[in-house]
Amino acid sequence: MAKWGMVIDLDKCTGCQACTTACGMENNTLPGENWQDVLFYSEGEYPSGQMKWLPRPCMQCEDPSCVHVCPTRATYKDMNAGGIVFVDWNKCIGCKYCMIACPYGVRFYADEKPLVEPDLKNIFPGENGQLWSPPYQGPDEDWRRGIGVQPKGVVSKCTFCYHRVSKAPEGVADLDEDDPELVEFVPACVRTCPPKARYFGDLDNPQSNVNRLIGNKRGVRLRDETGNRPQVYYLGAGAGVPAFQRRERS
Amino acid sequence: MNDGNVMKGGAGTGLLVISLLVMVASFGYAASSLATHGHAAFNASSNVPWGQPISTYLYFALASSGLGLLAAIPLVFRVKAYYPIAKRCIFLAFIVLVSGMAVLAMELGHTFRMLWAIPFGMQVQSAMFWMGVLYLLDLLFLMWKFQRLEGKDWDSKAARQIGIASFLGVLLASGNLALIFGMMSMRPFWFDGSLPIYFYLTGIASGMAALVFYTYLAYGFKREAMPEPLQRLLTGNLPVLFAALLGVTLLFVLVRMVTGLYSNMPEVSLVWSDYILASPVYHLSLWGGLLLPFLLLLSPNLRVQSGVQVLCSVLVFAGLFAERYFFVVGGQVIPLFKGTWAWDIIHYTPSAAEWSLTFMGAAMIFVLYVLGEKYFNLSDSPVTTAAPETSRAATAGAGA
Repeated sequence: MAKWGMVIDLDKCTGCQACTTACGMENNTLPGENWQDVLFYSEGEYPSGQMKWLPRPCMQCEDPSCVHVCPTRATYKDMNAGGIVFVDWNKCIGCKYCMIACPYGVRFYADEKPLVEPDLKNIFPGENGQLWSPPYQGPDEDWRRGIGVQPKGVVSKCTFCYHRVSKAPEGVADLDEDDPELVEFVPACVRTCPPKARYFGDLDNPQSNVNRLIGNKRGVRLRDETGNRPQVYYLGAGAGVPAFQRRERS
Repeated sequence: MNDGNVMKGGAGTGLLVISLLVMVASFGYAASSLATHGHAAFNASSNVPWGQPISTYLYFALASSGLGLLAAIPLVFRVKAYYPIAKRCIFLAFIVLVSGMAVLAMELGHTFRMLWAIPFGMQVQSAMFWMGVLYLLDLLFLMWKFQRLEGKDWDSKAARQIGIASFLGVLLASGNLALIFGMMSMRPFWFDGSLPIYFYLTGIASGMAALVFYTYLAYGFKREAMPEPLQRLLTGNLPVLFAALLGVTLLFVLVRMVTGLYSNMPEVSLVWSDYILASPVYHLSLWGGLLLPFLLLLSPNLRVQSGVQVLCSVLVFAGLFAERYFFVVGGQVIPLFKGTWAWDIIHYTPSAAEWSLTFMGAAMIFVLYVLGEKYFNLSDSPVTTAAPETSRAATAGAGA
C-alpha cells in the first residue's frame, strides 16, 4: 500500500488561495472551515521586512497526536489508506480533544457560530442528519472516513481527498494532474494549483517524484520538534511560521 | 439526628424549590438554545474549542476530588477529630461530581454516543479514556463508602479498605484530569508534569470551601446549632488547615505566574501578561479570592469567627472558579500555528447558553445537597466527646 505524501514548493506558491477554494468546493466545507488554507505572515520591518505565505493542509502525521488523545478511536490513522488520518463521524463524540492536541490547528468543529456571514447553515438547513445541506453536494459520502457533509457535533478535517485518491490505480508512484490517466484521482488542491506548486505521491516508493523532490530540494517538515512527523513536506525558502507577536493594526 | 439542621425544615424546602426552579430554567434555556442553534449557541469555537462549560466541569470535578481527599483525613489517616465532616464530605463529593458530569454531558457533541464509543473503543492511550474510567470508579467508591457510613460502619476492616480504595481513586482521577492538559506539549501554557500537584491543591482548597459553606448552610449559618464535635473542629484545626491550603495554593499559582512571565515563549508569557494579568476579573479572583481569605484565616482571632469562615469559603469558591476558567481558556488564546498572521490574542467570553450550564450545575448541587440533608444525617460521627489524643492527632493532621 502506498504512503501518500504531499510536497509544497514555496518558491512556486503565489498564495492565490485557489487550493483553498477548490478544497471547499470539493468537500462541501462551510465558509471559514478551511481544511486547506494559506496562512500569510509578515516578519521584520523596512528595509528587511518580509511577506510570507504558507499553504496548510492536514499534515497526515506519521505519529499523530490527535489519534493518541481521541477517547473513542473516532480519529484514526488508516495504513491501508495511505496513512491518511480520518475522523469516523459515527464514533466522534465532539469532545474536541483532538483539536486541542493538533499542533497545526487543522481540525474544525463546524457546529459553531459562523466564521463568515451569512450563516449558510441557516440558508441551507441540514437534512438527513447533515449539519447543513448545500444544493450541490459531491457524490461521495463516507462518514466512517469523514467524507461528505458532516453531521452536527463532530470534528472535520482534510482527508487528502481520499474519495479521489482511493480510486487511483494500484502501485502508482505519483498522482500528477498533468497525466490525463491520473488527473481524476489527484486531490483537489493539487489539481487546481495554478503554478503547480503541489506534488502528491507515494513516500514509500523510491521512484516517486515526491521523494526525489524532498531529497534533491531539501524538503522540510513543519514543527518537526513536536515529533508528529508530517507526511507533508515543504520546499524552498520560508518554510516556517514566525512566532506569534501581538501587534496594533495600522 | 440533629434538630439544628435547618435544611430538614421549611428553609430547606424553600431552598430546594428555588434551586429546582433555577436548575430547570437554566437547563431549559441551554437545551432550547442547543436544539435551535446547535453548538453555535456557545461562544467556544474551532479556535477556542474548550470554553466555560469545560472549565465548569473541571472546577466541579476537582472540587469533588478535593472533598474526597478531605474525607480521607479521618477515613484513611484516622484523624478522629475530622470524623464530623467525613460523611458530608463524601456526600458533597458525590453530588458535585454528578453535577459536573451533567454540565459536561450538555457540552459534548454526542453525549449518548460516548456511553458506548468510549468503552468499545478501549483507547488506553487517551487520558480522556482514563478520565471516564477513573471518575466512574470514583463515583462508585463514593457511593459504596457513603452506604457504609450510612450503616454506621466507620471502622471495620472492609470500611477502611473501601476508604483507601476511594482515596486512591480520587488521587488517580484528579491527577489524570491534570494530565489531560499537562501532557499537551503543543500547548505550552498547560504542558507541565507537576500539574497534578496544582490540581490537587486547588481541588482540595475548593473542596474545603464547599465543605465549610455547606456545613454552615445546613445549620442556618449558626455554629451553636451544630453538634459539639463539629463546632470543636470548626473552631480548632479546620480553619488552620484551610489557611495552610490557601497558602500553598497561592504559592503554586505565583510560581506558575513568575515562570510564565519570565519565559520568552509567547504561548506562555503573553498568556500571562496580555490575557490573564490584563484581566481585572483575574486580579479580583487572585487577590480577593485567594490572598484575602488567606490573610483573614491567618489571624487566630478572625479564623474562628463564623462570619469570616463563611466569607472565606464564598471568596475561595468564586476565586478558584475564575482560576479554573483562566487556566482552561488561557491555554488556547494564542492562535495556534498562525504566527504573525494573527494580529491579536483570541477573545472569548462565555455566551448566555454557556453561563446557563454553569448555573444549571450549581443549582443541581443545591438541589441534591438539600435532598441529602433532608434524608440523611450528614453530620453523623462516631465521635461524641473530645479526647486529648484526638486533639493531638487532629493537630498533626492540620499541620500536614
